[in-house]
Amino acid sequence: MTLKDLAKTSLANLGRHKVRTVLSAVGVTVGILTIVTMVSLGIGVQQEINRAFRSAGLETVEVRPVVEERTAFTQFIQPRREVIIAPALVEEMRARDDVIEVRPREFAPWGAHIYLKVGAEMVEARVGEPVWWDDRMSDPFAKPPELVAGEDLAKGVQGEIVVSARALEKLGYQDQGTYEDLIGREVALVIKAPRGDVQEFPLCLVGVVETYHGTSYYGAYVGLDDLVALNAWYFDDPDFVEHEGYDSLMIKATSLNDAVQIVELLEERGFQVQSLKTTLDTINKAMTILQTMLGSIGGLALFVASIGIANTMVMAVYERTREIGILKAIGASPGDIRLLFVAEAALIGLLGGVIGTVGGWLLGLGLNEGILAYLDWQEIPMTGTFFVVTGWLVALALAFATVVGLLAGLYPAARAARLDPLEALRYE
Amino acid sequence: MDVVVRAVGLTRRYKMGDTFVDALRGVDLSIARGEFVALVGPSGSGKSTVLNLIGGLDRPTSGDVWINGTELGNSDERTLTRHRRSSVGFVFQSFNLLPRLTAEENVALPLMFSGVPEKERLTRARALLERVGLGPRLAHRPTQLSGGEQQRVAIARALVARPAILLADEPTGNLDTVTGADIMGLLQELNQERTLTLLTVTHDPEVAAFADRVVRLRDGQVIS
Repeated sequence: MTLKDLAKTSLANLGRHKVRTVLSAVGVTVGILTIVTMVSLGIGVQQEINRAFRSAGLETVEVRPVVEERTAFTQFIQPRREVIIAPALVEEMRARDDVIEVRPREFAPWGAHIYLKVGAEMVEARVGEPVWWDDRMSDPFAKPPELVAGEDLAKGVQGEIVVSARALEKLGYQDQGTYEDLIGREVALVIKAPRGDVQEFPLCLVGVVETYHGTSYYGAYVGLDDLVALNAWYFDDPDFVEHEGYDSLMIKATSLNDAVQIVELLEERGFQVQSLKTTLDTINKAMTILQTMLGSIGGLALFVASIGIANTMVMAVYERTREIGILKAIGASPGDIRLLFVAEAALIGLLGGVIGTVGGWLLGLGLNEGILAYLDWQEIPMTGTFFVVTGWLVALALAFATVVGLLAGLYPAARAARLDPLEALRYE
Repeated sequence: MDVVVRAVGLTRRYKMGDTFVDALRGVDLSIARGEFVALVGPSGSGKSTVLNLIGGLDRPTSGDVWINGTELGNSDERTLTRHRRSSVGFVFQSFNLLPRLTAEENVALPLMFSGVPEKERLTRARALLERVGLGPRLAHRPTQLSGGEQQRVAIARALVARPAILLADEPTGNLDTVTGADIMGLLQELNQERTLTLLTVTHDPEVAAFADRVVRLRDGQVIS
C-alpha cells in the first residue's frame, strides 16, 4: 500500500462519519489550543522583556552595599553596612578601560520625613534622584519625564530641584500659569533629624513635572550632591559618603563579557551585584517554568483526548469487523490493517491539532487586543505583542497532536490486525 | 498434468465448548490447471472447510495442502497473506463487496495491497468489469446493483490479481435460479477462455452440473 493510498483511504473512511471524527478531535483541539496559547504567551512576554532589557543594555551592572542581616530587633532601624560603595571604588570603576560610564546613586535617608516648602506652606514629599538620564542606564522601562513647566534637572548639577505638579496642587498651586511663575523661585526642603534638629535646604525650582518615570509621582527630585548633603546632615556626619558609601552604583561596561568580568570582580570583594543579564536570566527561567506548568494543563487535556480517540477507534473496529474480514480475504496483511487504523487515528489527532493551533493563535490575538486595551484604559504607557506564535511552535503542536492520535490508535489497530478472517467474515 | 491444488489427508477439528467437532476427517483432493471442479455435499459435510483451507483462510489440524507447489498447512501468516493476495480469488455467497466503494474501486482494491499504482489498478479493474458485462456500471455502488450484478463484480474482483485458482463458496446461494444460471455460465466461459482453474462449493446439483468434475463429500470425507 503506498502512502498516497493510505492517506486517501484513511481520509475517505474518516469522512464517512464526519460528526464522529470531529467530536473525537475536539479533545485534541482543546489540549492543543491551551498549549499553543500558553506557550505563545511565554514566547511573546519573553521577547518583550528581552527586547526592553537589550535596548537598556545588558552591559549594565548595578551594585548595592551589603547590609547586615536584620533581626526582629533591628528591622525598624537603618541597617548597618558591612561592605560599602566608597568614592574610591567609584573612581576605580570610572578609570577602567572597559567601563563607559559609572553613576553613583543616593536615596533620601531611610525613614526620614521630608517636607517641600514653597513660600510659607509645607507638604510632605518623597525625594529622590531622577532615574532618567540620556544614557538610560538604570531602568529598562524608564520613560522621560513629562514636564509641564520649566526644565529637567541638568546632569551633575547642585542646588536645583524639580517638583511634581501633585505636590504643588497640595500646596494650593493649581494651574499652568502659576507653575510658570514659580520657575526660578527659591523653595526649600525641610527635614527633621531623629535628634530633634530641623534644617532647611534652599534650592532653586527649575521644573515642574506631571509624571516621572511613567507614573504620577508625589515628590521632588534633586541631584546627587544635594542628596548626599541631606544624608550627611541627617546622620550628623560630614564625611557621610566616606563612611557609609553610596546607596547604589550603576556601571555600564563596553560589552556583555566585560560586564560579566566586572560582576565577578565585585562579587569577590563581597558585593552583591545585579546585572541586567542575570535579572534577565532569572526572568527567562521563571517564564520557562511558568510555561511548563501552564502547558501541562494542556497536556492533561491531550491525555484525556487520546483516550477519546482510542475509544472511537475501538468502536470503529467493532463496526468494521466484517469489512476487515473481507480485506484480509482479498489479500490485506495484518500490517496493512494495523496501518489503516493507526493512520485514521493519527489523522484525527492532526485535525484536532490544526483547529487547536489556529484557535490558539486567534485566542492569543484576541487576548493581546484585550491587554492593550486595558493598558490604554489604565493609561499605562506600555505596548507590545504578548502572544507570539512562531513557526516551530506550529510545527511542534501539529506533530504532537498527530503523535497523540497515533498512539491512541495503536491498541485498536492491534485488535483489528489480530482478527481471524473467517470469524470476521461471519460477523453480522 | 499440471497440478494446481494438491491436498493430502486434510483434517480439521474445532473445539465447541467442551467437545470437539471434526469438520474434515482426512480429505485428499487434486485439481489440475484449467479444471472446473464442484465440491458437493449436504450441509455440514465440510465442503466450505475444504475451500477455506485451500484459500488460506484457515489452517488444517493435520494433513497439508499445496498450491502451485507452495505448502500452506504449516506456513506463517505472511505466507498465507501472500497466498490470499496473489494465488487465490474468492467469490462468496453474500458477495462481500465493500458497500461504500464503487464497483470499479471494489475490483481494484486487492491490487492496492500489492502496491500497484492507482491508474493501473483502475485500468485492470475496468477491463474485467467490461468482460463480466458491467461496463456501464463502473461507478455504481453495491446498493445500486442487483444481486447478479454484485456477484459479477465479486467475480471480477477475484480475478484482478490473476490468481492460480478461483474459489467460489455457494456463489448462487443468494440468487434466483435464472440469475444463478447466468453466473455459473459466466464462470464456465471464464474457465474455458482463460484456462481458469475453478473450485466451487455447492449443495445444488444443478449448479454442480456446470463443472467438469464433481467431488462429493459427506461427514468430512470424500465419498466419490
